[in-house]
Amino acid sequence: MTTYVEHLNARLVEAVARHDSFVAFGQNIDAGSRLSGLTRGLPCHGRHRVINTPNVENTLVGVGFGLMLRGLAGAFVMKQLDFLLLGVDQIVNTWNVLREQRPTGSFTILAIVVDGGYAGPQSSFNGLYDLCAIARVPGFTVTNRFDIDAVMARHFGAPGFRIITVSERLFRTPLIDWSVGAPVVHGEGEITRYAAGPAATIACCNLSFPKGVALAGALGDRGLTPSVFSINAAHPVDCKPIVDDLRTTGRLVLLDDSKSWNPPYADLLAAAREICGPDRVHLIARGAGELRPNADEFVVPIDWLCRVIAGEPSARAAGY
Amino acid sequence: MTRKVDHRALARQVLRIRIGQLLVNEGLKRQAFAVPLHLALGHEAIAAAVDHVMRPGDQLLLTHRNIHYNLARCASFGAEYGEYLLREDALAGGRLGSMNLSNPDGGIPYASSILGNNLPVAAGMALASDVIGDGAVTFVVTGDGAMEEGAFYESLLFMKSNRLAALIVVENNGWSLATDVDERRCPIALEALASSLAIPYGRLEGGDAIECAGRLDVLRPLAALDRTPVVVEVPLTTLGFWHAPDDRYPSVGRFVNYHHGAAPNAAVSDWPVLVEDDSDPVHLLRSYVPDAWLADTARDLHRSLSEALP
Repeated sequence: MTTYVEHLNARLVEAVARHDSFVAFGQNIDAGSRLSGLTRGLPCHGRHRVINTPNVENTLVGVGFGLMLRGLAGAFVMKQLDFLLLGVDQIVNTWNVLREQRPTGSFTILAIVVDGGYAGPQSSFNGLYDLCAIARVPGFTVTNRFDIDAVMARHFGAPGFRIITVSERLFRTPLIDWSVGAPVVHGEGEITRYAAGPAATIACCNLSFPKGVALAGALGDRGLTPSVFSINAAHPVDCKPIVDDLRTTGRLVLLDDSKSWNPPYADLLAAAREICGPDRVHLIARGAGELRPNADEFVVPIDWLCRVIAGEPSARAAGY
Repeated sequence: MTRKVDHRALARQVLRIRIGQLLVNEGLKRQAFAVPLHLALGHEAIAAAVDHVMRPGDQLLLTHRNIHYNLARCASFGAEYGEYLLREDALAGGRLGSMNLSNPDGGIPYASSILGNNLPVAAGMALASDVIGDGAVTFVVTGDGAMEEGAFYESLLFMKSNRLAALIVVENNGWSLATDVDERRCPIALEALASSLAIPYGRLEGGDAIECAGRLDVLRPLAALDRTPVVVEVPLTTLGFWHAPDDRYPSVGRFVNYHHGAAPNAAVSDWPVLVEDDSDPVHLLRSYVPDAWLADTARDLHRSLSEALP
């Protein structure tokens, strides 16, 4: 059985090895568990460097941009996304200068979202949307075999800058390898379709794809077949494939386990409400109080959604 | 290996930076520029000295007050002046203006208007040189205000921990906008701070281009050969200040530190000394070269730079 983190590690090592020169840096990436195995076995000979750094996050983001300016490829691998807030000056002010220069070098921030539970109001920061929005930074999340392969191959180490986040909750769980038919990638890995069906359109944002799979499974148990998409991009993208699907299904279930008030899917919601009507658009997102130390479980009312999608009249009153 | 300091070449560079700034100042007086501009009158010596000591491949990262270094590293005064006018045919195509003006062909890949922001980027560029193995030294300019930021300490720590060849030039003019050092913070013993990280430290007299160049000729190889950051503190005086009428100071008026925009009392001329004492790098040149040579060179530069204006 391959776990999520094992598959991530394998693709990370592959992506780094593709480069003649690569600098991977961050705290504990070459010590102890290597971030629970995420950075184990990274190439470190010749012009490949793996650097265990001091705790200087703002500087580490700047270091990545400095490497990029010299045409090199580098990645800052972070144990906790919340520490990236210390590098916001670099993300905003440096990137806003360098983006105009269309750099040939590459800088990726690969950060772990501490979504495993009981981390409290600070360490459980799950706001990639906010970090991306603040300076129009491309961002991606990955949750399963297919999107890990797609995003790591297309974006990690590519010219320019992006942030990729991964889920701590999923680290030791079996790698999700689910689809109905072959998955279809739209754009450059921003949106992926995993299943097609008439019952409803399920769009999974941020790191919520496992919940979407669970919902699709529950619907399958009732003989209903939904379409399932993952929106891997944390920046606004053209959601036309999802909008087109809505014209067939007439119902959107949008799952978002981020804790952001700044999601990139406003256009999709607006289109869905127009196509389906507001009663057939269900946004399942985080609520207040989820910053307390708790299990940090993204609760999706799967049974209720199944009854609604199945058209059971008693289900409609609850509303989402 | 150090080079002999060519007094006249350095003196000419100091004069060029001074006269170039004074011509920009005339534009500022006419409100010719939409972008905010920070002159560096009084900072010419260290800029000329850094230009003197940089080798091919070396990188120089700047702050918002970057006009002196950009003038030193840009052969075309008109191209730089045009950038302040945001012309498409200018140094950066009118995309950067003043505070972020860089010139990669001149070894200036980045300039930042955010205090302390250029230091982490410099750390990355120094790391790149180490990975590539090109033997280059990364120069990064900061100031007595920016070194109060956490990025200053972080960057020193990263550079030293990774044995990176860098020269951190701290232009210490004692001011952060309208607040002088004594008004805003306790003293910082920069040599002791550097020493705590085992980082070599040098103190240069900021007005003396010849001395600065000679000292940097020693400190750059130290950074390159020992693979270490070196902190270089440069006390200097930002000229262009003036005295505003104020009833509290009826005889001399109230001192106004120059920060940005036009320096109202500084005027371009064939003899561009602003202050007749050692705080003025142009005045200090008189210790090294004859007055007549200075006057002739200044006159020639005034004419040629004026002709280069777009």
